[in-house]
Amino acid sequence: MNMERQWTDKTILITGASSDIGTSIASELDALGAQLILHTSSMNSAEALQQRFGQRHRVVTANFSTPSALNDTFKEVLVNTKVDGYVNCVGVRSRRPLKLLKPEHVSEVMTINFLSYLEMLRIVTKRGRFNEGLSIVAISSIAAQSGGPGVTAYAASKAAVDAANRCISNELHRKKIRLNSVVCGQVNTSAYEELMASKTDQEDKVLERQFMGLAEPEDISDIVLFLLSEKSKYMTGSCMYADGGYLT
Amino acid sequence: MTKQEIFNHIEESLELDENTLKEETVLDDIVEYDSMGKLSLIVLSDEEFDKKLTGEQMEEFKTVGDIVKFLEA
Repeated sequence: MNMERQWTDKTILITGASSDIGTSIASELDALGAQLILHTSSMNSAEALQQRFGQRHRVVTANFSTPSALNDTFKEVLVNTKVDGYVNCVGVRSRRPLKLLKPEHVSEVMTINFLSYLEMLRIVTKRGRFNEGLSIVAISSIAAQSGGPGVTAYAASKAAVDAANRCISNELHRKKIRLNSVVCGQVNTSAYEELMASKTDQEDKVLERQFMGLAEPEDISDIVLFLLSEKSKYMTGSCMYADGGYLT
Repeated sequence: MTKQEIFNHIEESLELDENTLKEETVLDDIVEYDSMGKLSLIVLSDEEFDKKLTGEQMEEFKTVGDIVKFLEA
């Protein structure tokens, strides 16, 4: 099978494309000739994306804090374009002990990480907006599968994403749509650097368990590309661990 | 914010009774100043004082007075 020809016929939507993992996925797909729709949340990062990836690809700005507004933006984007793949890389971190987990904070994390993803699924899987064989990939986290002090809101939001993928894979099978999650360990990103800047003593323990060391964004994008491709056509509703051994 | 209010914020973050901390209280002597207590201080500093508190800075704190100085500055 000629993989390059195959990608050149495809359009992939990436939400959270200005994150390190999102940009890595976009770079690999761009090099393979795929058409990209790149979403980001701010005008500044939108300009940076357009500059980096050029006019061949479309850049879209939308705020994942307001799921109800996403339809207006994306229905216009998808009016003449059908997608073959959708990857969600949007995610806010949260580190708070229970006593500081106020409903407003949990709600904000759940809205960005879970509710907006769910809304995007509703938008993208509407009839006429995707080609046969649509593959959806969500970037998830080891936090969803294990746990740790202070990460309740984040872990719950990512676990919700994985649960949604499992349930919806059953519903969308007849539309020939697949959904999978990539369960990431700690990845060498700017978000990780921020985390380490304010680390207490919990964070070093994560890398002790993640015995293959810190992942690079490319380690994650390689797996995402596999899940987007027909090579993974028998997989749906599953979680692929990219955790450097953390969950063993 | 008065110095007393800052003390009370720190006490609340560490789940200590009001007016139990003094400037000279050594942080290593406070059982509640563990990793979750430190995380609470990071959130307190960010939300109430609009200041990013890093792990490195926290390692330099020896007494409660050092934290108060940082938050006041």
